[in-house]
Amino acid sequence: MIRSQNGMFGDFGGRFVPEILLPALTELEQMFAQLREDADFWQEYVTLTRQFSGRPTPLTPCHRLSDHIGGARIWLKREDLNHSGAHKVNNVLGQGLLVKRLGKKRVIAETGAGQHGLATAIMAARLGLEATIYMGADDIERQYSNVFWMRQLGANVVPVSTGARTLKEAMDEALRDWAASCETTHYVLGTACGPAPFPELVTYFQSVIGIELQDQIQEAIGRLPDAIVACVGGGSNAMGAFSPFLDHHDVTLVGVEAGGRGMGDGDHSIRLKPDTAETGIAQGFKTLFLQNEDGQLGHTHSIAAGLDYVGVSPIIAHLSQSGRLTADSANDEEVLEAFKLLMKFEGIIPALESSHALAGGFRKAATMNNDQHLVINLSGRGDKDIFNVARAFPQPEWTAFLQRELERHTQEPSAQQEPSAEQEPSVQKSDTAHKENRHA
Amino acid sequence: MLKSGTSLQVMSHAVVGFPSLDENLRAIDGLVSAGVRMIELQVPFSDPVADGPTLVNACYLALKQGGSVAATLELARQATARHPQVTFILMSYLNPLYRYGLEQCFRDAAEAGIQGLIIPDWPVESVEPMLPLLDELNLAPVLMVTPNTPESRLQRICQASRMMIYVVARMGVTGHQTRWDEAFDLYLNRIRQYTDLPLAVGFGVRDASDLKALKHKVEVAAVCSRYIEWQAESGSETAAKNMATLITEADLPPFGG
Repeated sequence: MIRSQNGMFGDFGGRFVPEILLPALTELEQMFAQLREDADFWQEYVTLTRQFSGRPTPLTPCHRLSDHIGGARIWLKREDLNHSGAHKVNNVLGQGLLVKRLGKKRVIAETGAGQHGLATAIMAARLGLEATIYMGADDIERQYSNVFWMRQLGANVVPVSTGARTLKEAMDEALRDWAASCETTHYVLGTACGPAPFPELVTYFQSVIGIELQDQIQEAIGRLPDAIVACVGGGSNAMGAFSPFLDHHDVTLVGVEAGGRGMGDGDHSIRLKPDTAETGIAQGFKTLFLQNEDGQLGHTHSIAAGLDYVGVSPIIAHLSQSGRLTADSANDEEVLEAFKLLMKFEGIIPALESSHALAGGFRKAATMNNDQHLVINLSGRGDKDIFNVARAFPQPEWTAFLQRELERHTQEPSAQQEPSAEQEPSVQKSDTAHKENRHA
Repeated sequence: MLKSGTSLQVMSHAVVGFPSLDENLRAIDGLVSAGVRMIELQVPFSDPVADGPTLVNACYLALKQGGSVAATLELARQATARHPQVTFILMSYLNPLYRYGLEQCFRDAAEAGIQGLIIPDWPVESVEPMLPLLDELNLAPVLMVTPNTPESRLQRICQASRMMIYVVARMGVTGHQTRWDEAFDLYLNRIRQYTDLPLAVGFGVRDASDLKALKHKVEVAAVCSRYIEWQAESGSETAAKNMATLITEADLPPFGG
């Protein structure tokens, strides 16, 4: 398992935070350093994931799809079958065990696609904690079903309306909350990014994916796979799948980033390819950030709200620069194509995030021989994407249903008091708008 | 030169590019006329995680107006030439300076007449190796301590800090009220154990009653978010008048005129 040198992975990582956050991070780091050496703790964690989240998740061979694509045999590691619908819950359950030990009663989280926010809301409900979830206002519009469930579960979802209104801004806001609340609140960071020890800690919990995968593929084919493919937003599902294989150099590791709608500034979320991101220090850590010449963090785009992060895990940045990880990308169109293909040939509905891994995986498999094996980490399922997919693949019956549903909804008097996205209590929304007008 | 034990003075703020690059210099003139002798020039940043809504919005608008490291250095050159009696401090998050090149940035800042640095996400461990260069340039890293900073770290920060210690008055981000209670006094005493440097208190210094509460306790009070609020609400001229009123109401020694 990969270990940092004082929080650093090669040139990346570290801890660059306002002084006020130092004690909470140090406390977390010390607790983690102790627990990771304790085999009983890992067992406690794995037991929890089995009892609560349906682990181990299956490793599914894709016979029809492999035949259709030709080339390597394709397998899926089924993180989509986790409770809550994605790998995010692994890390959250693990951090839940830490929260109990820390004795804190409140948790906060940032979320992009809402899967991490949903998992955090689930954990908070189960442990009886108060939860506040920060989510970019634009992401809320893209992934409303997750927002709906977070609120049903009792979490306070706060729309963040600064900047590009996506994951980066949600993380800024979570850090601000934590600066005021760190003595009583744990920040459940959702990906292998942020200040040390988070990249290492999140990777540790997510490595349950790769550890299971290693046993399952051994049992199925009697050896390790030739390649493992995962999508890379922040990098937590990729690090989870890859980490036990880092020293097995005959296993090719491919990270697929969001190619979005093109290579223009703000049109993609590719950080690992040349002429995209540059080394920077922000949001508490050093990594490859999309940014301009003045060090201002850039804007991103992806059809998948969970992949459009401006930075990337310092571990992934390090593995990419050292050549251990191969960086690939898939654009929005390729992603929808892969999404459709998996549904059609295997009856599985993938998340749009995970469909990036599918697109990259299918491309890679086609170049391989049919005695080779390629595993794609299917990080989440696509239920949450129903509105986005409905727009990409229109179905007249669906649109008609939405209209009928809207009519039914507005006929109920209670529904009329529901706030719209623009009316929700929001971080800085009114303030920004107000001042923008003044200085326009 | 700021000394320990001198009577309280106000430090205030400019976000470079807010409300516009043109207005920055006039706003600084206004602050100086109001009696302010220490001014932070903040490089706007896309992700200012230690700041509350007022400064977040100011950064956002400043970036649209062309605020940058280069613009900050240019403003520093002009402001320090016009107001040699004022101490100008460069305030920035780390990344814009890192991209510029830290060493080059420090050399250029010193050359532009900047005397101090406030960089909230630059930890003491990273500051220490740069101290020989900073001392050579007479560029003072003003490090922050917070109410939850443990003893051992407090000592380390006090040793690496120059010119003064920035005392973050309470938990949280900039722009909210602070209570100046007994716990706060104990906090100040705890810091004084480790340093003879003047103390500058920031985060939540908003009106004359705050300044009165801080008199005879610390040497500098940072009135930053409040000033930027005034600028945003009523423009730089009124903001300067408000600052002059604040200083008069708090009965601080007059520097102005």
